Amino acid sequence: MKIVVLVKQVPDPEARVTVGPDGGPAALQVEDRWCTSFFDEVALEAALGLRQRHGGEVVAVTAGGGKAIDALRRALAFGADRVLQIDDPALAGTDGLGVSAALAAFVDRERPDLVLAGRQALDDEAGTVGPAVAERLDWPHAADAVALEVDPAARRARVERTVDGGREVLELPLPALVTAQKGLAVPRVPQVTGVMKAMRAKIDKLDLAALGLSAADVAPRTAVLGYRPPPSRKPVRMVEGDFPENVRTLAALLRDEAKVL
Amino acid sequence: MDFRFSEEQEFFRNQVRDAVDRLVRPRIAEIDRRAEFPRDLWDEFAGLGYFGLRHPAAHGGLDADTVTSMIFFEELARGSCGFFMAVTVQMLMGTYFVGRFGSPAIRQRVLEPAIRGEKIGAICFTESQSGSDLAGVRTTAVRDGDGWVLHGTKEWITNGPICDFATVLATTDPKAGLKGLSFFLVEDGTPGFARGQKIEKLGARGSVTGEVVLDHVRVPAENLLGEPGKGVTYVTDILNQVRVMTGLAACSIADEALRDAKDYAKRREAFGKPISEYQLIREKFGRCWAKREAARTLLYRVAWMIDAGLECQREAMAAKWVATEMCLEAVDEATRIYAGNGFTPEYPAERFFRDARFLLSGGGTHEVLLDYLGRTYLRQ
Repeated sequence: MKIVVLVKQVPDPEARVTVGPDGGPAALQVEDRWCTSFFDEVALEAALGLRQRHGGEVVAVTAGGGKAIDALRRALAFGADRVLQIDDPALAGTDGLGVSAALAAFVDRERPDLVLAGRQALDDEAGTVGPAVAERLDWPHAADAVALEVDPAARRARVERTVDGGREVLELPLPALVTAQKGLAVPRVPQVTGVMKAMRAKIDKLDLAALGLSAADVAPRTAVLGYRPPPSRKPVRMVEGDFPENVRTLAALLRDEAKVL
Repeated sequence: MDFRFSEEQEFFRNQVRDAVDRLVRPRIAEIDRRAEFPRDLWDEFAGLGYFGLRHPAAHGGLDADTVTSMIFFEELARGSCGFFMAVTVQMLMGTYFVGRFGSPAIRQRVLEPAIRGEKIGAICFTESQSGSDLAGVRTTAVRDGDGWVLHGTKEWITNGPICDFATVLATTDPKAGLKGLSFFLVEDGTPGFARGQKIEKLGARGSVTGEVVLDHVRVPAENLLGEPGKGVTYVTDILNQVRVMTGLAACSIADEALRDAKDYAKRREAFGKPISEYQLIREKFGRCWAKREAARTLLYRVAWMIDAGLECQREAMAAKWVATEMCLEAVDEATRIYAGNGFTPEYPAERFFRDARFLLSGGGTHEVLLDYLGRTYLRQ
């Protein structure tokens, strides 16, 4: 069974993110600390689990330049068989729909039995790329999987997903695309042998032309108008004074200022 | 000249950081509080394979260069200081001589399980009357037929109370001073070998430290590691690495203490505004950050010199001293920023303060290092 996993390198959740004063499209400043998007790692781990049970091959792909390559090294460290970077200047500044065009062209070329992706990227949290790839390929798609079983002989996948108050169980014919929710698998901490192999690996790249696409095929259909920072929280206020007077003060503040009592 | 780490080195650093973040950091406070060796964490971490970084591939290691290894040590030191000490003894001093001089049978019996974390190693230099002064070693090794008999007591041995094997420095020629020192492998279970109780320590409390007693311990000839009388020469070969490793631990402890204090300074208000907005507080961060950058740059330069095969004993000593003194200053300033809250285990500042003290003596006390650096400077 061949599984393609879509991965993305995103700013580390602990990276400092600030919004410049004008709040315009270029106002977002992100500290230079990166990691692979958590849900993509869940998807990758699930793919490796399926490979262990059914044999086959796991191929990780990302669309983007620069630090994106580290998501592929990470996939190799996890144990992916092959990785590929779609790197083209036209991908810079595109949106989820544009990225989905590049990834769908790659998937179409690879012809896997299953595509796994994270339910959303940890940076923009749009959650559009996975479903868009499935739509472009005209494949069935199940989102937010927390359990996944595949019967390669019957060419069917069984997906469980959380819905309000319970679980929904779906069956899909293969090939299909499934996006991973937390709980589908627990991403491993890679062993050093995998890390060092990944460190030294040469990562293959393709540009859009090699996938039969032009810059127009990945042009964004949405435009970012600006960013607004979340409202800043008030600093901690220490209540002075001795017990029990300080407790009375605190209760008064909670009642009169915070209005939570 | 390019001071940047390569993309591959940055990737390696991120992977180590991820492992430390997920396995070690959630347990820092608990390890410090319990002051016990976290064997379960040891086993889990050993399973990742990093213990073999510095050993050759032919011995089951990974052949990593010094810079890569130091990136590992720097990131590991962001976790528990005690766990860091236990691991670094295992990876450097505790297994270095066994790997370099051990017979194939010894490597198979001792080194390979140590790389897998199944056996724990210790290095035995210090005695009641000798530490940085190796010429004062009184543990003896006397030739006896086809073997050697070791007798003496070692103190302040990291991993000592839990070690499965120890590399012991003993004198094979008491009249020869430094030129009479030799290394021996002693395995737990050998008659006369005893592991003492752990010492209560101020910091680095997740590593266990204590006595190792050698009461007329007889070992076979193959347990002599290297040539007799060359012990000090061999120590010099690895001490540069130990000093850079210690210095990078100092950088990480300082960095963690400063980052924690930064968050606190932005939160804590005095006289109507966060204390981070006062010049005297900002000066502390500016000064400590600048010194940390200087120390770290020097340390990685020495790591690069080791890889390039350049003589760097004095530079390694200097880097260890600069980094550790910087760390002591940074953790002190962090507790001052915390004021009263820096005096209680409710906040991490006091743990950084305690842990940093442990770096003072490893790789040579600063008095010994500076005296040597001054002496050699005047001689030139």
